[in-house]
Amino acid sequence: MAVQAGTNVRAVKAEAHRRRDYLPYLLALPIILYEGVFILIPIIQQIGSSFTSDVIGMGDVRWVGLANYERLWNDRYFWNSIRVTLGFMSATVIVSVGLGLIAALIMNQRFRGRSIVRTVMTLPWAFPELPAVLVFYWIFNQNFGVANVFAHAIMPWLEQNPRWLNDINLALPLVVLIAAWKAFPFYGLVTLSVLQSIPHELYEAARVDGATPAQSFRYVTLPEIIPTLMLMGVLACIFAFRQFVLIFLATGGGPARVTETLVISVYKTAFASFDFSYGATIGVAGFVIVFAITVMFAYLQRRQAAELAA
Amino acid sequence: MSDVGTTMSVSTRANKSSFNFRWVRRIPLYIAAILFCLITAFPIYWMIVSVVQPASLSLQYPPSLIPQVVDLSVFQDIFFVQDAAQRIDIWIGNSVLLASLTTVICLVLTVFGAYALSGKRWRGQGAFGLMLLMTQMLPEALIVIPLYATIDRLHLKDSFITLAMVDTAFVLPICIWILKNVFDTIPNEIRDAALVDGCTRIGMLFRIMLPISAPGLVAVGVVAFFHAWNEYLFAASLMSDRKLYTAPVGLGSMISMIDTPIDKLLAGGLVFSIFPIIFYLIVQRYVVSGLSAGAVKG
Repeated sequence: MAVQAGTNVRAVKAEAHRRRDYLPYLLALPIILYEGVFILIPIIQQIGSSFTSDVIGMGDVRWVGLANYERLWNDRYFWNSIRVTLGFMSATVIVSVGLGLIAALIMNQRFRGRSIVRTVMTLPWAFPELPAVLVFYWIFNQNFGVANVFAHAIMPWLEQNPRWLNDINLALPLVVLIAAWKAFPFYGLVTLSVLQSIPHELYEAARVDGATPAQSFRYVTLPEIIPTLMLMGVLACIFAFRQFVLIFLATGGGPARVTETLVISVYKTAFASFDFSYGATIGVAGFVIVFAITVMFAYLQRRQAAELAA
Repeated sequence: MSDVGTTMSVSTRANKSSFNFRWVRRIPLYIAAILFCLITAFPIYWMIVSVVQPASLSLQYPPSLIPQVVDLSVFQDIFFVQDAAQRIDIWIGNSVLLASLTTVICLVLTVFGAYALSGKRWRGQGAFGLMLLMTQMLPEALIVIPLYATIDRLHLKDSFITLAMVDTAFVLPICIWILKNVFDTIPNEIRDAALVDGCTRIGMLFRIMLPISAPGLVAVGVVAFFHAWNEYLFAASLMSDRKLYTAPVGLGSMISMIDTPIDKLLAGGLVFSIFPIIFYLIVQRYVVSGLSAGAVKG
């Protein structure tokens, strides 16, 4: 009887506790306020500012309605930045995820010196972005860069040093190369962690059934890693989209805007042309793109989690 | 070597042939591995070469792929020669200060956020998680304009505390996610036992969860530290005084100088990279297992 009463009391207490459980909200509140002040309010300000004219040195801020968006629609530099962004994004994603996959397959083999190879192969991931830009800027220096030595060795008919980061045709591929050099080890390590989780029995079974290594890759490895590759692809899109410092310092968006991605364009419009409101308008276009990619990411992640649970 | 071969052939014939076969098949693998290592290591190697030889040799064409003379005086230049425009020593000090401030602010907020997400589900938890994801995905460059305008109007520019708070906003989501995953690994029995013993849930956080999660807290601290260590965009727009530059901004500003002292610039970059690289070498064996946990849970 006493025991039963005790349980009852506890159940009632627990019930009351459950109903008045404010603790998670109290804990989440500071985070929501913090991110609200530093992220949410600026986003709202940005959207508001896109309906005004706010150019430093051009008088007061005025409401101009949709004028900025009209200008955006007719601005060929904006469409150029969209093209450059898509080109940079797709090239960087394909090259870095592709290299990451190959690197993971290599790192997953057993061979002598494997741990050293793994360390060296993944070093660029730990190497900070800024020094990476510095060293590539130096390697691709038109007069003294070591890249010239390699270029002349491979193409002896070259008469002059290439202009590298100042060349209209080379600038974007080189920026992609630097970005991929920095990014591929991360995708390699993530893929490797998935490769290592594939049960050994699957490969054994494939071998018993007479599968060649190519077939066992196609029918055992690939199905296991494709969800991760897709998730990484979307993540790589985001990382490429937000890439700023690497492009900004390597080329500054030049030459002739061939490397001017959307984020570079936002920054330059605001801090070089001092046209804050128009920069904000380009930024709003950026929000739309980020939102679309994030929704895709959340969808893929949820689907993968559902598959894992099943 | 021939001994090994004999032993192999004695043991079984099939074994030997497969041994040779495998060895030949491995050649492409070794070539690919070496090629990859050359691609990843060469830029870092070239940076070191350009730093350890005198600048006059770096400015020769064609450059020699192996350093001819080793001269480390450039490091002395960085730290003991006071050149007003190139205070790499001060910039690196600023970066240490900024990264430490960010780590402290971020750790405090992360503990609250992770504790809110771990444990029983509550209404709005999904929305809270989605908000964090969106924040994490947002490119800094897209909101630098309004943030700059507001901070400028409030006269909060040129302050490391402001900069650390802005950096925290962008690294907080991933930190919360890391610590939440660590909290989730703590068995429910331990939590229940603490509650039964009369511990409040806040008390449980400080007496049970945090001490058990010490390695996770270290991981969060490291992520926050290196985020601020590497951050360029906000540091570049919110710091207007050269003496207040962080290392990335200062070194970046040297790129565009007409007579960039290349050896000094690269030496600064090398000093700047040493912390992250050493740290990576220490933890790299745990990285793959850590990533596999993260890859599954996101």
